[in-house]
Amino acid sequence: MAGLADLSLVQAADAVASGEATSLDLLHACWANLDAVNPQVNAVIWQEREAAEIAARAADAAVRDKQPLGLLHGVPTAHKDMYYQAGKLSTCGSALRKDYRPTVTATVIERLSAAGAFTFAGLNMAEFAQNPTGHNKTFGNCHNPWNLPYITGGSSSGSGASVAARFNYMALGSDTGGSIRLPASACGVTGLKPTQTRVSRFGVMPLSFSHDNVGPLARTARDCARVLTVIAGHDSRDPTSSREPVPSYEAAMNDDLRGLRIGVPTNVFLDGADEPVIAAIEAALQVLVARGATVNRFDLPLMDAVAAYGGIVSRAEAAPIHAEWMRSDPQAYGAHISGRMYPGYAIPAAYYIEALSRRGPVLKAFAAEVFSKVDVLVTPTIRTCLPTLDATDIDHGPPGTEHRFMAVSANTRPFNYLGLPAISVPCGFDSNGCPIGLQIAGRPFGEGRILQVAGAYQTDTDWHKARPPILETAA
Amino acid sequence: MGAFETSIEATISRWFGIDPPNDPGRRLAAELAGTIEAFEALRGTLVFEDEPSSFEAALQATKEAV
Repeated sequence: MAGLADLSLVQAADAVASGEATSLDLLHACWANLDAVNPQVNAVIWQEREAAEIAARAADAAVRDKQPLGLLHGVPTAHKDMYYQAGKLSTCGSALRKDYRPTVTATVIERLSAAGAFTFAGLNMAEFAQNPTGHNKTFGNCHNPWNLPYITGGSSSGSGASVAARFNYMALGSDTGGSIRLPASACGVTGLKPTQTRVSRFGVMPLSFSHDNVGPLARTARDCARVLTVIAGHDSRDPTSSREPVPSYEAAMNDDLRGLRIGVPTNVFLDGADEPVIAAIEAALQVLVARGATVNRFDLPLMDAVAAYGGIVSRAEAAPIHAEWMRSDPQAYGAHISGRMYPGYAIPAAYYIEALSRRGPVLKAFAAEVFSKVDVLVTPTIRTCLPTLDATDIDHGPPGTEHRFMAVSANTRPFNYLGLPAISVPCGFDSNGCPIGLQIAGRPFGEGRILQVAGAYQTDTDWHKARPPILETAA
Repeated sequence: MGAFETSIEATISRWFGIDPPNDPGRRLAAELAGTIEAFEALRGTLVFEDEPSSFEAALQATKEAV
């Protein structure tokens, strides 16, 4: 039965601000779902309930006292367990950090708090954010709330699963090769990877500093717009963060897509795609066309360069971060984590420098050709129907499992090397009852445009409102 | 194990003091041959640049018009 926990983030924040609901009621509604479903889904790995109730009561008092309220006032959130909060647990999904308590707080957590949100839990994730499936040796695999044997997508597995299962209204994820968009797609929620440099990464566990991004997973594009407005912008503690002005992304959303030019790649992104996925994407395109968009299908340029250089950058940057543990305690990692990191130590520095130095020219050449023809690109987020956890279990599976595993992120990785913003929105279900995601990518700092397209799509469709059946069963 | 795999493992061991952690690691290290081939295929496709290239500048140069 639908209830307070089914509200979108924006609806929840607005309900608290108007006095229609209390923050404490929202929190308890979320916990009811968490208590019923988390034992099966395993999205939440630690909680701080007492502190959360204190925060919720303080938020409710501020409303009663008519104090100024932030955009996310009184909204319960929980995040991928790699966003540092001084003195609090931050496991990074690993046995190697199972007791780690950082001394700093991530800038994005501070900004969410300043806007009135509070955090009550740490969410499951791939070890050190390094898989696209949701496997985790230490804390247990995260299970898809739509169909438990299937992957949640990763690496922000708990972020996708918890938002889908109505444990919270929004979760931060991180995206180095698709780790926000993949769990958003697999779990039937909306996930936004911003432009590289758009959001500060201070106080966030690093994986590949050229490709790492911070962004939200929530119910709707409008939710993501509100969160991005809060967390985007320069941060002196992260000198790589952009000084590009931050607009009100939510205020710019409208449903008018007249004149919008949509590009659909005819190479790479549909290679080996499953029919239900293709059908869902084509149906989604028709929705956008009905709002005035046009579709142009063509081969994307430079995809070989993007794949080759992007793979080098990610692997070469991850390897040295983990070198000490790879020497001293390699068996503490899941086999699929240490096994994938291992080749990174053999990549020549000259290859890495070449891959980095080509990034700007490749982006300029790509943008000149592509964005002269179209405004946004539309692809499946995951081009196949979701695989099961067993079918992608490198640690216990036969040789070749790693290829099924890596295929999950084939459509998301290119936009990390290119640094482009991309969002995944739900657009259907496969025959196993698992969600299908629509990926919309745009120009650098074009978050407003892709949020507008995603929002218009969600105005005309209800995929993002669907509830996992497990919520009915558990109730 | 072939000569390529042997050389990769020896390089990693010598430079980093890290041994293959498991069979997936060995298999994926062997696939570096494909990585090299992908780089070889790109030779000659992108020209020498006199100025240091900046990805941040490229983001600005290609950004969405307001």
